[in-house]
Amino acid sequence: MKNIGNLKEFACTPDRFQGGHRLCPGCAHGMIVREVVNATDDDLVVSTATGCLEVCSAIYPYTSWDVSWLHIGFENAAAGISGAEAMYKALSRKNKLYNEDRNVKFVAFGGDGGTYDIGFQSLSGATERGHDFLYVCLDNEGYMNTGGQRSSSTPIGAHTTTSPRGRVSYGEKHRKKDLTMIMAAHGAPYVATAVPGSKHWKDLAAKAAKALSTVGPTFINALSPCTTEWKFKPEDTVEIGDLAVETCMFPLYEIEDGHKLTINYRPKNKVPVEEYLSKQGRFSHLFKPENKWLIEEIQKEVDRYWEYLQRREEAGV
Amino acid sequence: MPREVVSTGNQLAAKAAIDAGCKFFGGYPITPSSEIAHEMSRLLPKVGGVFIQMEDEIAGISVALGASMSGVKSMTNTSGPGISLKAEQIGLAFMAETPLVITNVMRGGPSTGLPTRPAQQDILQAQAPTHGDYQSITLCPGSLDECYTETVRAFNLAERFMTPVFVLLDETLGHMVGKAVLPDIEEVEANIVNRRVYEGDPATYEPYNVPQDEPAILNPFFKGYRYHITGLHHGPTGFPTEDAKLSQELIDRLFNKILAHKDEIESYEEFMLDDADIMVIAYGSVSLAAKEAIRQLREEGIKVGLFRPITLWPSPEEKIDELCNKFDKILVAEMNKGQYFKEIQRASGKKANDFETLFKANGRPISPAEFKAKIKEMV
Repeated sequence: MKNIGNLKEFACTPDRFQGGHRLCPGCAHGMIVREVVNATDDDLVVSTATGCLEVCSAIYPYTSWDVSWLHIGFENAAAGISGAEAMYKALSRKNKLYNEDRNVKFVAFGGDGGTYDIGFQSLSGATERGHDFLYVCLDNEGYMNTGGQRSSSTPIGAHTTTSPRGRVSYGEKHRKKDLTMIMAAHGAPYVATAVPGSKHWKDLAAKAAKALSTVGPTFINALSPCTTEWKFKPEDTVEIGDLAVETCMFPLYEIEDGHKLTINYRPKNKVPVEEYLSKQGRFSHLFKPENKWLIEEIQKEVDRYWEYLQRREEAGV
Repeated sequence: MPREVVSTGNQLAAKAAIDAGCKFFGGYPITPSSEIAHEMSRLLPKVGGVFIQMEDEIAGISVALGASMSGVKSMTNTSGPGISLKAEQIGLAFMAETPLVITNVMRGGPSTGLPTRPAQQDILQAQAPTHGDYQSITLCPGSLDECYTETVRAFNLAERFMTPVFVLLDETLGHMVGKAVLPDIEEVEANIVNRRVYEGDPATYEPYNVPQDEPAILNPFFKGYRYHITGLHHGPTGFPTEDAKLSQELIDRLFNKILAHKDEIESYEEFMLDDADIMVIAYGSVSLAAKEAIRQLREEGIKVGLFRPITLWPSPEEKIDELCNKFDKILVAEMNKGQYFKEIQRASGKKANDFETLFKANGRPISPAEFKAKIKEMV
């Protein structure tokens, strides 16, 4: 496993995801991807689902990727990487690899649309078959590449272009799907959440290093604050990420072998969810008198889930 | 009173769906069609309808089929890659005779292709989107007005013939903002077609026991009639069968119910053709550029006209035959490698080198200037 070291050391690692891509200013995707691909010195094969990352990072004749990279479609990043990984194993058995001394790791990136929704079937299949790969979900809670539609990751109350707010609607009607737990339920050897926050950069890089050195299917669900569709200033991305953790809207934890849960960060004083919601335009309508009840509901649900995580950690089963 | 609006093709398609009585939309986001879904998510709740964004393209059409089976007018929309994913369920709609309007806002392909650029590369896909034998109905608006009127017509045809109907927009029409003149709402409502309903004894109801050139009569759910819906070959009651005669008759009827009523489906436009020496054949957004070029060329004294099929499938083959054998100089223009050109050759009996062609598959529209240059070579 690569030693992540301090921020200066990690920042001096040769970049395998270069700048100059066309992600929005303030987009968290680039931060997450850099931390993941720089968290190993092994060779990498990366597959990327259709989405913001794919369209912005490899526009001909340029590419940000200093790794082997494939894009197939929206629904099959995990299936594509399964094929590459299976063939690598087969060639390895026959001693037909170009360089026996180099390790190759396999990573798939998908947005929440390509992971929670249309790509879930291929992710579930790849995990069940036990391919040796890391899947990273860049969770920006909606279809941000196609105009900001809802996904099954969109949190309740958020305005999107297909769950619009209005006189009779408070926006998204359904709870965010708990994909991290669903992936843990597959029995995957390592599953974790991560956020590209100011305090938590090392948490993310260390989790990526740990996942990449784990044999078998691993999964990191990384919250990716979206300046464009969450409607906050581009310079506030890291602050929003920090608040997601401090409010416990997106707690940092990991689950090993499908059951052993460890909470990686406990806020000293849990910040009320209003702090997180009020900084994002997509929730601004929740602060009208008629929608205040929903903020209370969100707080209750966050409290309940935080309690659940702590009890599950204690129980250790 | 005709209504004047400033809008985009995608928004007009949504507006038309509402005016035509659509009460259900199921779909999945995909560029360049998503604005139809955005509009439907806003408009449907106001008319007591339901909008559901599903988890993928396959679920997007399946939920719309389920809603249609329950008796409401239903719609899904997508772009080429989405049609590819939906293909199996499109087959179910043909087989089970489930009315559904499927709008495909075309972009460059194959595969992910050119998501934000126009193309007309799904013409053959719309004719044969799925395996098996069936007859597709495909409409292709050529203006913002028609994004509205052809979508309304698609709902009426779907209900009349109990079949999926494709409306092919392209990125240009879908995203183009302009003035559209829409027919009076009373006129639209007066011409609405609703599917036929069986009102006899539920015990003797046989939904697929209909004349060989007519669609099935599928009663809405929740009204006291029950029957069996399947993608398998089926007999009069809807239950599966492998009977040779019934199997043949079913497929024959899926063809006949469309082809015996082509006069109700066919639609085309002849633009400045009466005195023309040169005929252009174009459809969809390409026809807008063709018309502009024709107007400019006529000012220069060059007599050009346009034939524009609006119903692409089944094709207006008699009209194509008549016109192609009347004109010596014909230019066929499409934003693809000549997909409809094949049908023009077939219908007219002429050979490829009897035509001039202007084909483009690089995601860029064909401009009036390109038309003018090409036509001047033909004078």
